[in-house]
Amino acid sequence: MTPVLEARDVSMVFGGLKALKNVTLSLDEGKIVGLIGPNGAGKTTFFNCLTGLYTPTTGQVLLKGNVLPGDPAKVTDAGLARTFQNIRLFPSMTVLENVMVGRHVRMKQGPLASLFHGPAYHRGEKAARERSRELLEFVGLRGPDDELARNLPYGDQRRLEIARALATDPSVLLLDEPTAGMNPQETEATQQLIFRIRETGVSVVVIEHDIKFIFGLCDSVSVLVQGELLVEGSPEVVRADPRVIEAYLGKPPEEVEHDIEAAKGEQA
Amino acid sequence: MSVLLQQLANGVVQGALIALIALGYTMVYGIIQLINFAHGEVFMVSSYGGLATFTLLPDDLKKSPAVALPLMFLGGILVAVVVAVVMERFAYRPLRNAPRLAPLITALGVSVFLQEAVRVWYPDATSNLPYPKVFPTGSLALGPISVPWTGVLLVVLSVGLSILLQTYINRSRMGRAMRATAQDPDTAKLMGINPDRVIVLTFVFGAVLAGVAGVMFGGYLNNINIDMGFQNGIFAFTAAVLGGVGSIRGAVIGAFIIGLIKTLAGQYMPGGTQYDYVWIFVVLILVLVFRPQGLFGEPERVRA
Amino acid sequence: MTTTAAEKRSALAPLGKPFAAVGGVLSIVAAMLPWVTFPLNDGNWPDKSTLSFFDAPFALTGFRWHMLVLGVLVLVAAFAPTPSKGRVVRALGWGVLSVAAINGIYLVVKGGGFGAITAYKDVVAFGSIAGVVAGVLVILAGYGIGIEPPGNWRIKLSTPVAYLVLLVSFGAVLYAVSAMLTTGGVGAGNPYAGAIFLSFLGFAGGLLAALNGIGYTKWISHLSEEHRVFSVIVLLACALLLPFTDAGNEYWMTVAANIGIYAATAIGLNIVVGLAGLLDLGYVAFMGIGALVAANFSGAAAANFGIDLPFPVAAVIAAVVAGIFGAIVGSPTLRVRGDYLAIVTLAFGEIFTRSAQNNIGGMTNGSNAIPGVPQLSLFGTEFNKQLTLGSVKLPAGVLYYVLIVLLVAATMTVFANLKFSRIGRAWIAIREDEDAARAMGIRTGKMKILAFLIGAMLAGLAGAVFAHKNGTVSYESFKFLESITLLAAVILGGMGSIPGAVLGAALLFVLPEKLRDFEDYRLMIFGLALVLIMRFRPQGLIPDAHRRAELADENVDGTHVDELPKEAKA
Repeated sequence: MTPVLEARDVSMVFGGLKALKNVTLSLDEGKIVGLIGPNGAGKTTFFNCLTGLYTPTTGQVLLKGNVLPGDPAKVTDAGLARTFQNIRLFPSMTVLENVMVGRHVRMKQGPLASLFHGPAYHRGEKAARERSRELLEFVGLRGPDDELARNLPYGDQRRLEIARALATDPSVLLLDEPTAGMNPQETEATQQLIFRIRETGVSVVVIEHDIKFIFGLCDSVSVLVQGELLVEGSPEVVRADPRVIEAYLGKPPEEVEHDIEAAKGEQA
Repeated sequence: MSVLLQQLANGVVQGALIALIALGYTMVYGIIQLINFAHGEVFMVSSYGGLATFTLLPDDLKKSPAVALPLMFLGGILVAVVVAVVMERFAYRPLRNAPRLAPLITALGVSVFLQEAVRVWYPDATSNLPYPKVFPTGSLALGPISVPWTGVLLVVLSVGLSILLQTYINRSRMGRAMRATAQDPDTAKLMGINPDRVIVLTFVFGAVLAGVAGVMFGGYLNNINIDMGFQNGIFAFTAAVLGGVGSIRGAVIGAFIIGLIKTLAGQYMPGGTQYDYVWIFVVLILVLVFRPQGLFGEPERVRA
Repeated sequence: MTTTAAEKRSALAPLGKPFAAVGGVLSIVAAMLPWVTFPLNDGNWPDKSTLSFFDAPFALTGFRWHMLVLGVLVLVAAFAPTPSKGRVVRALGWGVLSVAAINGIYLVVKGGGFGAITAYKDVVAFGSIAGVVAGVLVILAGYGIGIEPPGNWRIKLSTPVAYLVLLVSFGAVLYAVSAMLTTGGVGAGNPYAGAIFLSFLGFAGGLLAALNGIGYTKWISHLSEEHRVFSVIVLLACALLLPFTDAGNEYWMTVAANIGIYAATAIGLNIVVGLAGLLDLGYVAFMGIGALVAANFSGAAAANFGIDLPFPVAAVIAAVVAGIFGAIVGSPTLRVRGDYLAIVTLAFGEIFTRSAQNNIGGMTNGSNAIPGVPQLSLFGTEFNKQLTLGSVKLPAGVLYYVLIVLLVAATMTVFANLKFSRIGRAWIAIREDEDAARAMGIRTGKMKILAFLIGAMLAGLAGAVFAHKNGTVSYESFKFLESITLLAAVILGGMGSIPGAVLGAALLFVLPEKLRDFEDYRLMIFGLALVLIMRFRPQGLIPDAHRRAELADENVDGTHVDELPKEAKA
């Protein structure tokens, strides 16, 4: 079976700096892959290469076996959606409008329909509104949908961003630190949400700092250190790998061990 | 051939004038990423400031250029600095965290306001005003070409002041603070740099240079009018963009290129001097489209 | 700022109602006091303002009548159960203050000193001073009572009643517009026209803000949203009825038609600036292109094509040509962002002006312009002539007025329909965060060019009408300052808001008509206005629902979001 998302030998060079060195990653359908690594390891750069925001210096990215174009809009159209590390909603649009912007690529409405508001326009808008409301419900946003996005509490903004990304009907969803700044309850809720997203048939790639969260969530974990893929495998394999303990986060090994033990305890 | 040489010389003088103004654009942009659209009007206002200073002088002083000229420079610079500081304090500073369009629209407003204020309130400003003849007269003859001494002075002042500025920014404590603020205002703040002071100082430097340019403009062309700020402001802005906004060296080199384009296009392109303006706009558009970071600027990286 | 506002409130709190009572009574008293001590050089101060005390209660007109009404309303608002009482009282206080101050200042200036409004040769006249004091007291009373969000009415009405309410409300708007246009008479005819007009504006503004405070405007806009088709028809009918009011003379028809042309253009600019967030500093060039195209196809003697096309065809061609230029000017948006783009548009605008001035391309006749563009005509009636419908005689120029009302209505529809569509949402998303918009699959480049194209087409269309109405097309009408004026109209009214663009254009073109005294200062005031609006009310007079929250929050002044009026969605 071809993996739904595949990055082949992706390298990215900024000036003299090699931010990514031949990173290869593949994601099977219906799986959740975690991407971890210390700060500056190139995780977000890798995301930007996947989504076409950067054009990789070498290598290519394939979605369902097709090479992705180097344009974020076309990548989204092809079925790869993302969220941002620092939330990037449309702050002065309403909650509902934010999600409806996500429907943009899936709507057929052309300039003439937009201009004249015929029956097709009304059908399309109604469908988009309904789908958007469904998604808001799905991610657990039940407040009034005419609230401005900027007025939502932090955790809800993260959820809204996920709903907006899901509105593009992606086959793969990239989440850039979805639990940053969340308390344990919210983190737990996010984990459940990601599981439910997988159930709908969307494959997920997650960047996180929180190892506990990643090990509890992912089917497979990749560790990125200084732009290189260090280890890849199931959480158990990665957890046991001495190189990860050595390299990860630059923490003293005991501390990492402790984190990992804690993660094990959590799972058990 | 001598026409070409003469036009090249004229272009260099024009470039020197534009460079003095362009430095103001480039410094302000470097620090707060604002196209200070009103900077051209600061230049215009300073020219009228110099003229007003002369008008207010007692008659015996008017006859001695050695006293009158420095006082005119002083007056012009003073007016420019006051206008720039007031503008920064009351128009731009309150908008520092506003959406990007807001300060730009404000800058437009300030620009229109200054131009109209001079037109309405300065006596006879609706027509061209002659500039006092206190500048060195005569020309420097170099083979087939001749450059008025005012032009020579302009080039000397322009190059000299830009070198001085560059040195100051590279060497002095305050210069370092400026560079730090330009790079990363938040970190600079943490390091104990007061961004407000740095920004005001940037405006002041820009205004001083514009003040010199304003008075020299009158001396070189013998006439001033209220449109001079808008036109030369656009030229200077183009020069700053061409050189790479934020770069001092770039602005100066860009200004000389613009000066040359202006005179040469006025001479050789269809439409003549009526149309030299347009060629500069064409250059501006081409640069912005094909090399927005300019000749010496660094490409902006996409945020994500 | 927020803390000082809070302190001010706490200190004033016990004084709220007493101040309102005193202020209200004082403004009623002020209405009855004499306002000026002697007849002025240019004749008596308008509305018999009188060297004597008030003695004929029901003959009171003009600003003294306004003072009286405001004073009574202050008392009613302060002591009857009023929603958002403090806000309403404050608004009325501003009304009192501006009416009193405007009349007082004019009297001082025209009368040559404070003697005019205090005491002169045994005559005393403290009307304006009492009025100013009353205004200040009432404003403070408003703060003392406490500024709350505007009222929110949840009254549901049956359809016929709602229709009636809407009909009455829009009728009142028509009356107000007519009154505003005619009040003080036509510029040069009345030496006090400016004062009367400004005073009226102060009164109307205070009243409107008070209506907004109690939640009436919000309620009406909800109603009109609910009954959208009906509202549109009524509004259109109201606009078409203007020629039957006092404003129905040739002069005001011409002014209103000019306002309409610029309002239509401003709405086009609002698509580019307000929705897509792209600052266009050369926008008037598209209007110029439209006007030039129409003029050249009009059969005018000076036209450069010998072709005389019927107006609708020429207008469509004008719009299309302007649109093509719009797309060309917009194409750098593919690579250039933000303020750099503004400069590119400025450069294009200047290139247009220069080319037109030098007759590049042989289309513009340079500084000779294209004179003698024929008037439009329909069934043999030229649009600038009088029209007689049965026994009713309509003023000259009424047909242009009608045409332009339809033009504005059409551009409004285009704007509104686009705004609430897939494309409109994409534009707003681009304005808010371009990278995020791209990540949502929006082809940002295509969308931005589309914004330029549609905006330019609307300007081209307005330009075609302009050419015929004005009769002469010269590059002089399409210079940088006209672009700035249009931009000022959009910003003053409120970016992204349709009623805002109309109001902005109206203010920017009516004010100079009324304030001939200040003609020299017109542009200076525009410049200052841009600075002040960006500083104190960046969301404009009638903010767009989106824009309002965004810009208000970033108002450095610390004005709290819900302190701002909440008009309905545009």
